Amino acid sequence: MVPFGFLDWLWVVLYLLIMVGAGVLFYRLGKRSEADFFLAGRGLPWWLPAASVYATHTATDTPMWMSGVVYKHGLAGIWYSFFAAWCAISAFVTTRIFRRSLAYTQAEWNTIRFHGLGAELLRGWMSGWQVFMSMFMLGWVGIAMGKVCEYAFGWPTWVGLILFSTLCAVYVMASGYWGVIMADFLQGVIAFAVILIVSLWGVFAAGGPTAIVNRLAAMGESWRLDPFAFTGWFSGDFPIAWFLTMLFIAVLGGFGMGTNIDWYVEAQRIQSSRTVRDASYSIWWGTALVLTRNSLWAAAILGFYVMFPNIPEAKEYEMAWFRVGFDYLPVGMVGFFFAGLIAIHISTIASVLNLGAMYFTRDLYLHYWNRAASEEKLVTIGRVATVILLIGSFFYGLMMEEITSWLIFALWIMAAGVWLPNILQVVWWRFNAWGYLVSWIANLGLSWLVVWVLPYFGVLPELPDYQQFWLLMVLGALIYLPVTLATRAEPMDHLVHYYVMSRPIGWWGPVRREAARRGLLAHVKVEA
Amino acid sequence: MSWICRDWTPADADEWTREDWITIVISPLVYVLLMVGTGLSLFLIPAGYITLAAGVVLTGLMHWIIDPKLKVISGEYEKKQRDYLEQLEKQARWEGNNG
Repeated sequence: MVPFGFLDWLWVVLYLLIMVGAGVLFYRLGKRSEADFFLAGRGLPWWLPAASVYATHTATDTPMWMSGVVYKHGLAGIWYSFFAAWCAISAFVTTRIFRRSLAYTQAEWNTIRFHGLGAELLRGWMSGWQVFMSMFMLGWVGIAMGKVCEYAFGWPTWVGLILFSTLCAVYVMASGYWGVIMADFLQGVIAFAVILIVSLWGVFAAGGPTAIVNRLAAMGESWRLDPFAFTGWFSGDFPIAWFLTMLFIAVLGGFGMGTNIDWYVEAQRIQSSRTVRDASYSIWWGTALVLTRNSLWAAAILGFYVMFPNIPEAKEYEMAWFRVGFDYLPVGMVGFFFAGLIAIHISTIASVLNLGAMYFTRDLYLHYWNRAASEEKLVTIGRVATVILLIGSFFYGLMMEEITSWLIFALWIMAAGVWLPNILQVVWWRFNAWGYLVSWIANLGLSWLVVWVLPYFGVLPELPDYQQFWLLMVLGALIYLPVTLATRAEPMDHLVHYYVMSRPIGWWGPVRREAARRGLLAHVKVEA
Repeated sequence: MSWICRDWTPADADEWTREDWITIVISPLVYVLLMVGTGLSLFLIPAGYITLAAGVVLTGLMHWIIDPKLKVISGEYEKKQRDYLEQLEKQARWEGNNG
């Protein structure tokens, strides 16, 4: 149990009042239209969605994840967080392309890029999947908060899960994305301040930077300060092959849409930006802050390591950064820390609640159920969807025990077998809706088989994560590439319209020539 | 540095050019330098300061290269946005040709 004084509770109560106040303050803006409730009217300057990118990707489970990998692998563990670097290329490639499509969601983009029945099936599939995944993400982030509250106050895990997500849902329902984005800005500032203060506190609790370096040397573990301390090419806990695979996935993934599960959240930030340039900078700077933040965490966790080395249980050392805050900050500051944790938690919950509600409202309700729905009706449906997602997340959250294994499996489901198709849909004109749809369905089956089922029955050994990735990528390609080539390309009229509107990168030669022939690219000479 | 174009026409800015590819190469490198540089600097390791400084300089260079192009793309696209939004809404509501 962490001792809480009057000042500590004051921080928490003040913070919660500000957050709920944001919902009240932006209530009028949020209810104006669907575009306001889900995209803040598409008029935000880059620094607002950038703060939201940062705040959303600073969740309660993130310091647990970082604590786990840095405690285990030393500073080299920060590469596990480098998955976020898909934004490095995406900010200047797919962000530009997606922003020009103006699609509310990735599901809607499917019907702009693809055509006909295949595109509609994709839209239905993608939106249903995203509603499910939103509940799933809300569940795993929510249960992480439950664990923090259990550690700090001895509450049962369900209390922390339900209490803070419900409070968050109040302002998300009231003001939609306006409330999310404005609260995210505030939460981002608070979260960064808390992470900076607590991490530096942790470093100094361990004796300061020089003392940590010296103590690691005395323990014979100076390698923990080397960000490139791998365990061999293919052997050990963290081989170079895994590192290179992560770099490959992260960096080249920026040429695709959806190569990382975070894309779907970022896509909303991209469309809420007022221009293409604002969208690019929001994604780039938000992620730069995320990666810098991870290094702050890493420093505190290494400080924790020299104080408490050789903890065998992952469940214990995954709490490293939280223990620095709860155990070492003075009374009065612990409440500030806990308010920061609520900020970290709520910013993610709010974003995912609004995102899932957008897929439900825009892609399922409006597109397939009630195409004549008024703007007022759509905002109401958005609020109802928020409640449905919230309740669903409680069930998922209570089912999750081991955060890291769930996170890795979720990443596999979303990333491995569809990683390449997510790029092909952007860069290759011939890739069609049927190939993409099949790649998703095949990946769902294959990832269960490769990760859980076949190893359970002894058909396949339990492979390291990076080998699972390559295997899933190859197996998936063996299915969707033949399907793509055996089915027709999308109609040229549709592709030309998409090309002129979005100007995609990659192999679009036939479409570009046709667009030029029709006089839609005035500056491009028509080839004879 | 005339090798880098900083004065774009809307039509030229719409193309994928050398400036985009240079940015595509620099941007991930900047992330690596900022992340590793921050981590090492917090332990007062000199290599960390150098890495972090290199990251900051390259960030500035990257923006110097790509910003003029992004401004022109944005300005030109905003003129067409209203029409595209109307088409999008029709498509969502199955009005007219859903293609």
